[in-house]
Amino acid sequence: MKKYELVTVTGKGVIRTSGWGLHAEEAVKGGLDYVIRHEGKQQRIKAIKRKKIFFVRKGEYIMLKIVHLTKNYGEKRAVDNLSLHIRPGEIYGFIGHNGAGKTTTIKACCGILQYDSGEIYVDGVSLKQNPLACKAKLAYIPDNPDLYEFMTGIQFLNFGADIFGVSASDRRARIRRLADTFELTDDLAQPVSAYSHGMKQKLAIISALLHDPKLIIMDEPFVGLDPKASHLLKELMREICDNGGAIFFSTHVLEVAEKLCDKVAIIKGGRLIKSGTMDEVKGDTSLENVFLELEGER
Amino acid sequence: MTKALFKKQMMEVFSWVYQNKKSGKNRSASGIAGYVLLYVLIFGFIGTVFYFVADMLCEPLVSVGLGWLYFAIMGLLSLFFGVFGSVFNTYASLYNAKDNDLLLAMPISSGKILLIRLSGVYAMGLMYELIVIIPTLIAWFLTAKTGAAGVICTLLIPLVLSVLVLVLSAVLGWGVALISGKLKRKNIMVVFLSLIFIAAYYYFYAHAYSILQSILINPQAVGSRVRNILYPLYHMGLAAEGNVLSMLFFVSIVGLSFGIVYLVLSRSFLKIATANCGSVKVQYKEQRAVVRSVEQALFQKELRRFLGSANYMLNCGLGIIIMPISAGVLLWKQAVVREVLFGAFAGNEGVIFLIAAGAVCLLSSMNDITAPSVSLEGKTLWLAQVLPVSGKQVLMAKLKLHLVLTLIPAAVLAAVVEWVLRPVFEFGVLIPVVAALFILFMASFGLFINLNTPNLSWTSEIVPIKQSMGVMISLFGGWAMVVALAGAYAALRKVISPLIYLIGVVILLLAASAVMLRWLRTKGARIFETL
Repeated sequence: MKKYELVTVTGKGVIRTSGWGLHAEEAVKGGLDYVIRHEGKQQRIKAIKRKKIFFVRKGEYIMLKIVHLTKNYGEKRAVDNLSLHIRPGEIYGFIGHNGAGKTTTIKACCGILQYDSGEIYVDGVSLKQNPLACKAKLAYIPDNPDLYEFMTGIQFLNFGADIFGVSASDRRARIRRLADTFELTDDLAQPVSAYSHGMKQKLAIISALLHDPKLIIMDEPFVGLDPKASHLLKELMREICDNGGAIFFSTHVLEVAEKLCDKVAIIKGGRLIKSGTMDEVKGDTSLENVFLELEGER
Repeated sequence: MTKALFKKQMMEVFSWVYQNKKSGKNRSASGIAGYVLLYVLIFGFIGTVFYFVADMLCEPLVSVGLGWLYFAIMGLLSLFFGVFGSVFNTYASLYNAKDNDLLLAMPISSGKILLIRLSGVYAMGLMYELIVIIPTLIAWFLTAKTGAAGVICTLLIPLVLSVLVLVLSAVLGWGVALISGKLKRKNIMVVFLSLIFIAAYYYFYAHAYSILQSILINPQAVGSRVRNILYPLYHMGLAAEGNVLSMLFFVSIVGLSFGIVYLVLSRSFLKIATANCGSVKVQYKEQRAVVRSVEQALFQKELRRFLGSANYMLNCGLGIIIMPISAGVLLWKQAVVREVLFGAFAGNEGVIFLIAAGAVCLLSSMNDITAPSVSLEGKTLWLAQVLPVSGKQVLMAKLKLHLVLTLIPAAVLAAVVEWVLRPVFEFGVLIPVVAALFILFMASFGLFINLNTPNLSWTSEIVPIKQSMGVMISLFGGWAMVVALAGAYAALRKVISPLIYLIGVVILLLAASAVMLRWLRTKGARIFETL
């Protein structure tokens, strides 16, 4: 399959631009069930003739595609030939014991960590070939948010908004909404150095969401959050995915993963040992039971 | 328990000896020996300087029966040196120690925690004090003849005197803690106070010889004043001469001072140590956001980083203050400067302008803002790497900060230099051009060094700012370069005119800067992205 910069539409409606796809002619030859962005018939025909519009099969649109990812730390193989796909609208949980390779995989997906082999695509764009385009589409929230302590909260948010080119009106509205949601508004004039761990986590979440990312990657996002903020974050995650976003996050809290995730992947010793929809993975039992069985604890 | 806590505190204070701060690993035995030897040499060198002072004072004062004055003066000097060395760490050691929460959660009284912390400050003060007091003792024992009581008292004096160092440091640290809780612009205040401290130090350093001379010319009058103003030190001096009662008096005064300070500090210790100092709550009011470009946002971030750290400003941006001050001094003393220079180089005025260009370059090299800037990303490096900005953009923002903060004061200095020296047109153009290119090269060079020797795992920002290889190379590299260029002219002066030489330097700096910039934008940017 060829890669193109393209326009896309998915099951529930129109979503964004750019992604994996097939050239029109190839799509027609393949007899695929595809959708195009421009709905007018004349427009579509013109676009096909000019080969300026590309297609994507329903349900085939992938927001994050990890292909045979391998990462070594010296002799130690941290991630071993790992592949998985995350589609728009999905909350994808990533679980494994400490040192299983979750953070390494997540950092590789964000472009923070170089990998030895394999490929990662964000919204169809190769992370290796065009890291900045990928980073512009995603947001990362680390487990331990080390933020710029020499800035105040609002300065940090404005810095992130400037980097992502968020307009003044958009940023004002989003900061107001998100800071109010996480009850951080009163503290925005405080230096980040005065923030607690939970407040830093909230600030990192708000900053990550300011540019309306297509893909959010989170490493243990609930660590340090109070129960209310934790609940709000879960609601927000669902809302983002209902609007066509995709979320990939690691967690040790299996109850949260079971309730929140559409899909889940279990990693052990750097290898993906099970993945699929929540029902496929856990079957009639609980996610905890499945995890412990796979880990050889039961 | 007290023993275990004391051991922990000493391990913390002297961890720089046995632990590599960069890797966090313990040094090998030979590594420790090498490190200790290095510091012995450094302290030995400083101690030698103090020995000359001690030697200069000791014999004349002892011979007129004012041995106590010698000890009082040198004691005062060691007191200042001890306080100067330990005061900057006192506030952090007492109130901002990383294990405060851990210890407070244990069944240990806050008074005992304070006492243990004070023992660390005492050890640090003693270490600095010994640099002065050991040469003092050597000169004393070589000159004065004291009995057994005198010898015992003299050997005990350093231990007691360092309690006085501790008392003064602790009071200053306590004052800083009280003030810092109420200040909004703490960093600026710290920089301001530090600059006053440094200025006072240099003033004393510059006038040390005349002060010593005045003591030697009129020791009786000085002795009388010291006795009236610094009565405990007068008794300390008498104790060194063998007066046991004076020793007891001195110990009592120091003990009483310590007791009072300990009582005062222990009453507020828990409150200060558990308060989030420095956080004067500012109410957030929504304001219209200023939208910046990516480049502007990155520059703003670097500027905030610089202004947000007193350590960074003081250690890497001293040129920002020194250059305008130098310009002011030059304006003030312009007649003398002109007379000396034009008198010394009559008939070869071109050399004066070479010296002028070299001086501007030398002073500008006191700014090494880029040298620790990559390391300073530390644990926040992930932000620069996860945001959609290239390594090149980040590095150029760091470079720009260095250039803006150095070129402006350098331009002021160069303008004053030209006003005072009135060079011919060619030199008038070349002096600022050389200075600008030198600054550009040094800024790039600082980044180059830091990209090749980054330290991202520091726990205290002092490590990358003050103790890193990159900063050392960058700072001394700048001076070495100016010296090398001066040396090159000295070697070539018979075959080349100052003007041609300066043009050659411009070409050299231009080429070197171009190479460095190209490296930064390509390989350097890739290195940053994969750190």
